[in-house]
Amino acid sequence: METKKDIMWRIYLVFAGFLLFGIAICVQIFRIQFVEGDYWRSKADSLTTQIRSIEASRGNICSSDGSLLATSVPIYDVRMDLNADGLTSEVFNKNIDSLSLCLSNLFKDKSRSEYNHDLRQARNGGSRYFLIQKNVHYADLHKLKQFPLFRLGKYKGGLLIDQRNVRELPFKELAQRTIGTMRDIKPVGIEASFDGSLQGASGSRLMQRIAGGVWMPLNDKEEVESKDGNDIITTINVNIQDVAESALGEHLLKNNADHGCVVVMEVETGNIVAIANLSRTPDGSYQENFNYAIAEATEPGSTMKLASLLVGIDDGLIDLNEKIDVGNGLMFYCGQKMEDAHPPKKTKLTVREAFMTSSNVGVSKIITHYYANKQQAFLSKLQSFGLNNKLGLQIEGEGRPHIKNAKDKDWNPCVSLPWTSIGYEVLLSPLQTLTFYNAIANNGRMVKPKFVKEIRYHGQLVKAFPTEIIRDSIVSPSTIAKAHELLESVVDSGTATALKNPNYRVAGKTGTAVINHQKFGYDKNNKTYQASFAGYFPADRPKYSIIAVVYAPSSGVYYGGAVSAPIFKEIADKLFSNEMSLHNELAASDSLNKNIPEAKPGQQNDLNKVLASLKVNALTRNAEATWVSTTGSEEGVVMTERNTHIGAVPNVIGMGIRDAIYLLENSGLNVKASGKGAVKKQSIDPGTKIIKGQKIVIELG
Amino acid sequence: MHNNWLEKYFKGDRTIWLVVFILTLFSLLAVYSSTGTLAYKYQSGDTEFYLFRQARFLIIGLALMYLAHRIRYNVYSRLSQIGLFIAIPLLLLTLIIGTNLNSASRWLSLPGLNTSFQTSDLAKLALIMFVARMLSRKQENIKDFKTAFLPIMLPVLIVCGLILPANLSTSLLIFFTSVVLMFIGRINMKYVFIMCGLGVVLLSGYVAVKYNSEDRGRVVTWINRVKNFSSGEGNDNYQADQAKIAIATGGLVGKFPGNSTQRNFLPHPYSDFIFAIIIEEYGFLFGGVLMIFLYLLLFFRVIRFINHSPRAFATLLAVGCSFMLVFQAMINMAVAVNLFPVTGQPLPLVSMGGTSTLFTSIALGIILSVSREVEKEKKEGGGELAAA
Repeated sequence: METKKDIMWRIYLVFAGFLLFGIAICVQIFRIQFVEGDYWRSKADSLTTQIRSIEASRGNICSSDGSLLATSVPIYDVRMDLNADGLTSEVFNKNIDSLSLCLSNLFKDKSRSEYNHDLRQARNGGSRYFLIQKNVHYADLHKLKQFPLFRLGKYKGGLLIDQRNVRELPFKELAQRTIGTMRDIKPVGIEASFDGSLQGASGSRLMQRIAGGVWMPLNDKEEVESKDGNDIITTINVNIQDVAESALGEHLLKNNADHGCVVVMEVETGNIVAIANLSRTPDGSYQENFNYAIAEATEPGSTMKLASLLVGIDDGLIDLNEKIDVGNGLMFYCGQKMEDAHPPKKTKLTVREAFMTSSNVGVSKIITHYYANKQQAFLSKLQSFGLNNKLGLQIEGEGRPHIKNAKDKDWNPCVSLPWTSIGYEVLLSPLQTLTFYNAIANNGRMVKPKFVKEIRYHGQLVKAFPTEIIRDSIVSPSTIAKAHELLESVVDSGTATALKNPNYRVAGKTGTAVINHQKFGYDKNNKTYQASFAGYFPADRPKYSIIAVVYAPSSGVYYGGAVSAPIFKEIADKLFSNEMSLHNELAASDSLNKNIPEAKPGQQNDLNKVLASLKVNALTRNAEATWVSTTGSEEGVVMTERNTHIGAVPNVIGMGIRDAIYLLENSGLNVKASGKGAVKKQSIDPGTKIIKGQKIVIELG
Repeated sequence: MHNNWLEKYFKGDRTIWLVVFILTLFSLLAVYSSTGTLAYKYQSGDTEFYLFRQARFLIIGLALMYLAHRIRYNVYSRLSQIGLFIAIPLLLLTLIIGTNLNSASRWLSLPGLNTSFQTSDLAKLALIMFVARMLSRKQENIKDFKTAFLPIMLPVLIVCGLILPANLSTSLLIFFTSVVLMFIGRINMKYVFIMCGLGVVLLSGYVAVKYNSEDRGRVVTWINRVKNFSSGEGNDNYQADQAKIAIATGGLVGKFPGNSTQRNFLPHPYSDFIFAIIIEEYGFLFGGVLMIFLYLLLFFRVIRFINHSPRAFATLLAVGCSFMLVFQAMINMAVAVNLFPVTGQPLPLVSMGGTSTLFTSIALGIILSVSREVEKEKKEGGGELAAA
C-alpha cells in the first residue's frame, strides 16, 4: 500500500508537470495570436497574396501585306535542380548517362561525357539551379521534356524552365535596321519609334499562392486587364526588300565597298517599299548595322546637279539648249581646280549634254554665270525645294541636311557657289535626295517618305497614316517637264545607258562624289568615292523611285553609272515583273487564241468558272454532275459525267493532282503520288471495292 | 443493445477510446488539408493520395490497437524482452545501412513491404515496456544500486546511444521518459540524478568528439538548430515564422477546415507543424486548447484507472506508454508554437506517418489492455486494492 502511494504521488507530480506544459503552450498561442497577432497577420498577407503584373504581349511589326517582320516568341532557359527532393541517387545514376547522350545530341555543344561530368559535378556541388541551355526554342523544349529524368518533371526530375519572350525577325536580316530593336541603350528603328504603340499596357491582378507553388488569381474588382500591343503595318514589301537587300549585298561585295544603302519608294504615296543598309564587317561579309539611308547625311555629288539646274530653269534663266564652253573639261575657280571625270567630247556642250554627261565644269559654269551676283537667291531657291529641312520621318535618327547661306562664315563667294552647284559643301542623306527625285517623278509634289501605313489592334484599324505632302509643287509644271527630259536623257544617252531596256524606261541621275568620310578623309592620291544613282521608272508614268548609294567602292570602278545603277536595275526589274500594272497591254491579236484549250477532268463547278473567265464555251451533258470528264470540240469543252460510286475506287485518270487526291482520300484511300501533270496511271483499277486505308499509287505525267 | 455490443468488443477505458477517435478524425482532416503541396510534388496533383494513405495507416493502427488491447498485459512483460533483443541489432543495422534521409540514418526499408520503417519507434516502445518490467520486478530492493539501478540503466543507455547519432530528439525523448519512469518507479533519487548527469556528460562528450572529427554527421545540424532557436535566424526560423503566421491568422475559432494558406509555406505542415495548421483551421479554442485537453485527458484517464490497480507493472506500463505519447505530443506542440527548437517529432496519431502511427497505436492498445484488465479485476475483486 505504501509502495502504491509512493508511486501515485510521483505520477500526480508528472501530471502537474504536463498541466503546466499545456498551459505554457496555451499562453504561447495566446501571445502569438493577441500580443504579436497584428504583426504576423500583416506578414501573412504579404506572403500569400500579391499583386502580380500581367505582361502584355508586344505587338507585331508586319510588312505591307501582313507578313510578320518582327514578332515576340517565347524562348526558354532550361535549368536543372540537381538536388530536387524527389531526385534520388538511384534514379539519377540510372538515367544520367542517357540524359547526357540526349542533351549532347540535341544541342551538339558538348559531348556526352562532358555533359555527364558536368551534371555529376553540379549534383555533388549541391547545385539546385544548374544551367543546361539558354534560349531554347519551343520545339526543342518539347523534345527535351521527353528526355530521361526530365520527363519525371520538376520535383522528381529537377527540370526547371524559365520562359521569356524574345523578339524574333522571321525574315532575319531583311530590313533589320529599319525594323529596329528595343534595347536599353539607344533603341532604334520602328521598334523604338513606335514603342509606345507596340508595347501595350501590362495589367495587374491580385493573386494567391496555392499548392504546388502556383499563383491563383483572386476575383478582385481592382484587377486590371493587360492590353496587348498594337501591330504596326509597315510599307515594306518583303519580296522587293529581299531583292533590294541581295542586289545591294552582291554589288557591295563585287565593288569591295565599305557600305551602301538602297531605298525604294512608291512615287505617289511616299511608301518605302524597301530599305536596305549594309556595311562590311571585319570578316568581309555585309550586315545591317546602321541605317545609312536615313541617318548619314553626306555630300551628294552629281545627283545635286538636277536641283541646281532646276533653280535656273524655274527662274527662267537657263534653257536646255543653251551652249556652255567647257573647254577641255578643266578650269579653276580662284585657284581651285574643277575637273570633269571624263574629258568632254566637244568644247561646247548644251545644258542638256552637260547634265547627261555629268560635266562638273558645264554645270558649275552656267550656275556661276547666272548666280555669281545673287548667290543667296540661288541658295534660297535650293532651300525652297525642301532640301534644307529634316523630313520628319516616322523613324527617329534622321540625318540633318545642310545647304549653306551666302552670309555664312564658311561661305566662300568665289568657290562655294560652283561647288554647291555640283553637290559639294552640301549635306543630304540618301533618303532626302530620293525624296527630291520622287517629287520630280510625282510632277513636283513632294511627299514625305512613309514607313508605317497603319496601326492595327487585333486586326482592327486603330490609325492609318495618310500620305503627307511636304510641298504641293516645288517648281512649275514646265520646269518639271524639263526635269523629266533631263533625267531621261541620262539613261538614253548619258552616264546611265546601262539602264536602257526594252521593257520600261528609266529616268535618273548618276552621282559620283569624292567624299569626306570621317573614316577616309579627303586624300588627293587615294580618293574615296561615293557612287550613287537616283531615279524613277517607268519614265512616262512613274511608279517607283529608287536611290542606290555605295560608299567607298574599291575595286577600281567607282562611277555611279557602273556601281549603283546595276542595283537600281535589279530592283526595277523585279518590281516590273511583279506588277502587271506596269506592263504595256499586249496587242489584241496576241491574246485571241483560236484553239480550244485542253481542260483536265475535275469538278464541274470549278471547270465552269475557269472556262467562263477564259471565255470558252462549256458544254455539259449533265449539269447536275459533280465530277466530269472533258473532251475538246469545235464549239468548246464538252463535259461528261464521271461516275463516282460510293465504296468503289474512282477513276482519276487525266485529273490534276488536287482533284485526284481529294477524290481518292475522301473515298478512304491513302494516296502516294509521283511525277507532275495529269494522272497517267492509278495502281488500283477504277470500280474496285475500296478497302479503307489501302494505299493507292498514282503516277502523273 | 448497442451498448452491449460495444462493451463486448471494446474493453478498457471508454474515454481513451473516444480520445483516440477524435484524434484520428483530426488526423484525417488535417493531413488531407495539409498535403496539397506534397501531392503536387510527388503525386502529380492527386490530392486524395495522402488522405487514403493516412486512412490506411490509421485503420491498420486501430486494428493493431484493438488486437493489442485484447492481449493480457502480462504478456507485454515477456514481449518487451523479445522486442529489445530484436530492436538493438536492428538499430545497429540502421545505423550502418539505413536509408539516408537528411543525412540521418533513421530508416530501414522493409523488404517486401514497400515502406521504410523507423527502427527507433520499435526500440522506444520495447524499451519503455522493458523498463516498466524491470522496475516492477525490482520493487523489493528498488533503492539498491547494483540490483535495481544498474540493470535498468544499461539498456537505456545502449538504446539511446544507438539512436543518438541519427536522431537526437528521439534519443533524448526516450532517455527522459526512462528517467521519469525510474523516478515514478521509486529508484533512489540520488541515482536518478546520477542518470541525468550521466546523460549530459555522455551527450556533450559525443558532441565534442564528433564536432572535432572529420565526419561531423548530425552534430552541426543540432548546434545550428539550437543556435537558430536562440538567435532567431536561419531556415528553422523561416519555419517558425510561418507557423506563427498560421497560428496568428487562425484566431479564436480558425479559418475552418481546408482553408489553411500557411500549408503552402510551411515545409512540413503534415508532420512537424501539423499543430500550427490545426490552430489555423480550427482556432485557438477548437484546435489548440482542444488538442492539449485531449492529450492531458488521455494521461488523466490513465491515472484514474491505475489508481485501482494493485500491480506495479500495470501501473508503470500504462504510465510509461502514456507518458511517452503525451510528452511527445507536448514537444511537438511546443515546437509548433516556437517554445522549442525544431525537432522533427510527430504529433502522435495526428501527424501523417507510417510506422510511427502503428507503434503509437500499439502503445495505446497496451494502455487499453491494462485498463481492460484493471476493470475486470475491479469487477471480480469488488474494488478491493491489494499489494502486488
